Amino acid sequence: MRHFKATASAMLLGAASILGTAAQAQDLPGFDNWDQVLEEARGQTVFWYMWGGSDAINGFVDRFYGEPLMEEYGITLERVPLADTVDAVNQVISEQEAGADGDRGTIDMIWINGENFATLQQADLLYGPWAEGMPNSALVDWENPAINLDFGRPVEGMESPWSSAQFHFMYDSARLEEGDLPRSYADLGAWIAENPGQFTYVAPGPGAFIGTRFVKQLMFELSGNHEQWVGPFNEELYNEWSVATWRELLSWEPNLWREGETYPVSDADMKSLFANGEIEFAFTQSPAGAGPDIGAGLIPPTSRAFSFDNYMIGDFNYLAIPFNAPNKAAALVTANLVLRPDRQAAQVQPQNGFCCGWAIDVNRVTDAGHQAAIAEAMQNLGDAAADPGRLAGALVADIDAEYQSRIEADWQRYVLRGEPLPE
Amino acid sequence: MGHPIRRAAFYFTVGVISLILVAPVIAFMINAFAFRWFYPQLIPQEWSLQAWERLGLIPRAGERSVSGFIDLWMSVPDVVSALWLSLAIGVTVTGLSVIIGLPAARALGLYKFRGKRIVEFMIITPTILPPIAFSLGLNINFIRWDLALQDMGIPIDLAGSVIGVSIVHLVPVMPYVVLTLSGVFANYNPDFEAQARSLGARPLRIFWDVTLPSILPGLFVAALFAFLVSWSQYLLTFLIGQGRVVTLPMLLFSAAGTGNNAMIAALSLVFIAPAILILLVTSRYLSGESSAVGGFGRV
Repeated sequence: MRHFKATASAMLLGAASILGTAAQAQDLPGFDNWDQVLEEARGQTVFWYMWGGSDAINGFVDRFYGEPLMEEYGITLERVPLADTVDAVNQVISEQEAGADGDRGTIDMIWINGENFATLQQADLLYGPWAEGMPNSALVDWENPAINLDFGRPVEGMESPWSSAQFHFMYDSARLEEGDLPRSYADLGAWIAENPGQFTYVAPGPGAFIGTRFVKQLMFELSGNHEQWVGPFNEELYNEWSVATWRELLSWEPNLWREGETYPVSDADMKSLFANGEIEFAFTQSPAGAGPDIGAGLIPPTSRAFSFDNYMIGDFNYLAIPFNAPNKAAALVTANLVLRPDRQAAQVQPQNGFCCGWAIDVNRVTDAGHQAAIAEAMQNLGDAAADPGRLAGALVADIDAEYQSRIEADWQRYVLRGEPLPE
Repeated sequence: MGHPIRRAAFYFTVGVISLILVAPVIAFMINAFAFRWFYPQLIPQEWSLQAWERLGLIPRAGERSVSGFIDLWMSVPDVVSALWLSLAIGVTVTGLSVIIGLPAARALGLYKFRGKRIVEFMIITPTILPPIAFSLGLNINFIRWDLALQDMGIPIDLAGSVIGVSIVHLVPVMPYVVLTLSGVFANYNPDFEAQARSLGARPLRIFWDVTLPSILPGLFVAALFAFLVSWSQYLLTFLIGQGRVVTLPMLLFSAAGTGNNAMIAALSLVFIAPAILILLVTSRYLSGESSAVGGFGRV
């Protein structure tokens, strides 16, 4: 109990000092310096709650973080697999309701972004700010709005990036020629008309953000400009372009898979349709493109990734520490390790099985050994990856989370149920 | 039964029922070893142990020697630890539920008393009430009690622990145990006990030599129900275990979202294997002739 009080007052002091020195690198609430963090962390166990649906990602975490944490820092990693990240959010809320504050919670760290982050931050249930106070946070480009905004919401040091992902597509090179691939939504509309029944997309809805993202990008293209979408939710802008978006999607419907009567409800469902040759395109978020799914035997080995020329949404995913985490020091050390350049290089290599791309700005790395690891990873994305230059050229940031819920509700209403459009 | 047509009809019916019961297991068997089984392949063209490798149950190619298997299994893959944990919780819950349920069932089966209907109804309520309705609240209460216990210097956790999960499994398990056993006691004749007592037997001896052998077949059925209900709990384990008590259903639900059919099938086989094994071992108590439910053992 005494320890808890000490921590709480230290957190208050920490918060006060942040306010005073906003321009400098952050302090770590509750700790004087990084050495103290390392010292306290030794012997602790970090309970890391993360979506556990991919055995490849689970294996990556145990191997590339679990082993060095134990060997170099004396920290035990306990990975807690979740079916859905919102379960961890609900757990933190339950703990707060039960009065488990200070360091009397159960969760040390959550793999998080978007709505789940917004929920915890709004309810004031996160430890921090801390993300700019770790040594390796110097490698993160905090000026980049794709990093300092999470679904349009300022991160403000309450979470630290782990990796990045960018929406793009997959096709089967045994069935389609690279030259015939659509490179914009306008192209795609024409392709669908010429190839009836061979395209569909994941129904936008809770748990299927990838479908929402597909629709969002169409809205960007129709509006002809992504920049106007950055910033807080804009009702007028949304009303102006959403109807055109529904009209476009409805015009595709007669030529969609099963004539648009039904849609795959998850990315896994869509992948299965693609693998069985019912549809010609699938979605991916990995810098290695089709590589990870080929390795798992989920799609044909001739699958390849490709990108449109514009409006491919990329975003970052993060690590957050709950306000009542029992092992904050160990969580900080883990989040810092995740940003170490050799770990970052390992996570983009397809054979290691992780999903996603860089969180650090690789140009900031000065250590020669780490630079070599990065160079090797860059060359090793595999044949099944999309052209990285084209992907980078098409990159746009995701927008305010409010757009997501509106798009999901309105898509269900106007496209799925076919209610008459407004005006 | 002598008539050939009637006999044919009998075997046909048995065949159809067995097929319905066994077909899903056969589908799992095929899927668990199929690799890249896509349309238009009628049967898989490629076979693979990749799902089993990923589960950590079979070593990778080149390491499949006896020592390879021992090394892998000694490293306790997630599936193996989940299997042991599920078994441990299942056995604990079964034991507790029988100890708690036996006196209640005896009272309900043998005696008439005021409010008996209400007591019976209360015992059945967990089967009507959806688990989500009580478990969210229970989780918060468990956390509160844990904090109170901590403040008293007793470091016992209910929330997020095997103890808490075992306790909460009792909720859906108890109705099955009490109802099964009260059926047994309804046909039970306590005069046997009186007889033993008149011959000078002490209470413990009466229970051991008279009561227990009489109710044993029914007790087996109740225990089997208890174990299987505990074995298949997902939601309660998840909510009270806070994701930290990783039993087999937790792994299965987590894998179900990935779309990796081989993996889901392999995990499902691991999940149903112990249940099938137990059914086989106890099947003689379950056959109609042993009159298990409401039946009477040999004294």
